[in-house]
Amino acid sequence: MKLLAKYNRVNILVTILIFLLGNVAFYCMLRFILMRQLDKTLHGEEQEIEGYVQQHRQLPDIQNTKEQWITIQQTNYPPAKPFIKSSLQFNEHKQEDEWIRQLIFPLAIEAKSYTITVSKSQMETEDMIQIIIALTISMIGLILLANYIVNRKVISRTWMSFYATIASIKTYRASSKQPLQLPKDKVDEFSILNTGLNEMTARIHHDYSTLKTFTENAAHEMQTPVAVIRSKIDVLLQNNLWDEKSAEQLLGIEQSINKLAKLHQSLLLLARLENRQFVTNEEIRFDKILEDKIAEKTDLLHSKEIELYKDIKETVLLFHPHLAEILVNNLLSNVIRYTPKGGRINVELSPGFFSVSNTAVNGALDENKIFQRFYKRSENAEGTGLGLAIVNEICSIAGFPIQYRYHDKLHQFTIQFSNENKL
Amino acid sequence: MKILIIEDELSLNTSITQYLSSAYVCESVYTYKDALDKIDRYDYDCIVLDIMLPDGSGLKLLEYLKADRKTDGVIIVSAKDSLDDKLHGLKLGADDYLTKPFHLSELSMRVEAIIRRRNMNGHSTIIAGNLVMEMHEKSAVINGKSLELTQKEFQLLLYFAVNKNKVLSKNAIAQHLWGDDMDFAENYDFIYTHIKNIRRKMMQAGGEDCIRSLYGMGYKLQVK
Repeated sequence: MKLLAKYNRVNILVTILIFLLGNVAFYCMLRFILMRQLDKTLHGEEQEIEGYVQQHRQLPDIQNTKEQWITIQQTNYPPAKPFIKSSLQFNEHKQEDEWIRQLIFPLAIEAKSYTITVSKSQMETEDMIQIIIALTISMIGLILLANYIVNRKVISRTWMSFYATIASIKTYRASSKQPLQLPKDKVDEFSILNTGLNEMTARIHHDYSTLKTFTENAAHEMQTPVAVIRSKIDVLLQNNLWDEKSAEQLLGIEQSINKLAKLHQSLLLLARLENRQFVTNEEIRFDKILEDKIAEKTDLLHSKEIELYKDIKETVLLFHPHLAEILVNNLLSNVIRYTPKGGRINVELSPGFFSVSNTAVNGALDENKIFQRFYKRSENAEGTGLGLAIVNEICSIAGFPIQYRYHDKLHQFTIQFSNENKL
Repeated sequence: MKILIIEDELSLNTSITQYLSSAYVCESVYTYKDALDKIDRYDYDCIVLDIMLPDGSGLKLLEYLKADRKTDGVIIVSAKDSLDDKLHGLKLGADDYLTKPFHLSELSMRVEAIIRRRNMNGHSTIIAGNLVMEMHEKSAVINGKSLELTQKEFQLLLYFAVNKNKVLSKNAIAQHLWGDDMDFAENYDFIYTHIKNIRRKMMQAGGEDCIRSLYGMGYKLQVK
């Protein structure tokens, strides 16, 4: 829920409640005042009649109107004292039912007792109350509406800079060339936020580029000694005086240096992938790359007696040709490496997805670990332990979700091609 | 054939010079300044160029060479293996680009290819003893008899022929044939199979068995 919506919800609820309570109180008070007014008029009538009777010793002539009328009744049991009541009665003057306020009081002229009823229609009072209430309610409505519009327009505009800040943070990468530079805002809170974020990203940026430079330099510095060792081995090999023992030693050195070179190359590639130094906007025929890579691996597949089933449909993607090659190669190499002799590999490619599955030996793999760096399924595994980490990184750059699944004694890796990359 | 090796790392420069000296006349320099001096004064068939020199960029040297209309072939050897650097180097007129670390036999192969492209005017034969390899037709002839080789076998034999009398480690061979991508021990079995086949075919054609195996380290093509 948005802050504004949450605030509005509470705000409007409270406002309506207060207005309702106020309205009820207002109604009660208004009614009380108007009724007292009405009763005063009735009492005034009573005093007028009593005054007339005291002076003239006879009943006055009664002038009845639509709104007010007086009935006089001779009775042996007059009420003990005057009282007032309201009741729904038939008004003969108007020919309809309506609320009528009545003052009933006793009157004695000489020996005769009378009950006198002064009646007055409540209609006017009710009408007035209704109008006033209606007015108040429409006022409340207007105030709420005005509030709503003001909130929407003004507050939305105020929050716009907040959303702009959020949008900048979302697209910010530590690897981007510049730290965030968010503008000052009229609203103090947003200004504080922006300044804080600017400082934070500047720090991150600085730390990141220091680390990056270090990694790059370290990698390049390492490359030269590796190159020297390899060249020295090549020269040493030409020496004619080898005996079997030292040849074995040299072979060990060579294999290690090869592993080191490979490891180093993979780490450099990972660093470059993380720096987002590749742009995936080239049109490539993924199916061709896949076919080529499969052809390259034919020897290997034959020697391991692996059966490869493929279902490859023409697939054109927006990608990076070099990355696509690495992706396919790493995935295939990995799968071939862990397929037992005489096992089976299925390769499926369509414009929507790319999937590779192979015979599993020891049950499901740990989904959370297989894409981690230096995770090896067994201690004596030959790879660098970086192959799948690189695959994962490439997928994340291209925006292709990659998934591992274990079913029917098969390891299955599936890469979904996102819509933007389809053509 | 004259080759100039421009590489600031003394050890590497020595190794390259030592290795290539058996086939070419090699001169080596370690700095930008010396390199410029040599380029100005002499012509070379091929220049092995390191991009990162202490007193200047190898790419500048390359630009200078091309601006001066020198016909020297150039192969860049660099610690940088990013695609951009590679494309940039080739765009500036380099003939090839090799990323460190590399096998000397691979460098020798590339240098040979550059020289062949530049000097032979389309002629492209490689001769190693009785063996004659024709690049265009991808044919190999021994003692006048042609060999029926598969594509991989031809590639492998060519590698041996260019690096004749040199021991090639199994790893160098594997990298040459299958690229960096493959790093399985299984590769070594393929190499053994391919070499066995080549030997058999050469002997069937009446040639002598001139591929030697050296204590599991590697193989070499021995010719007089």
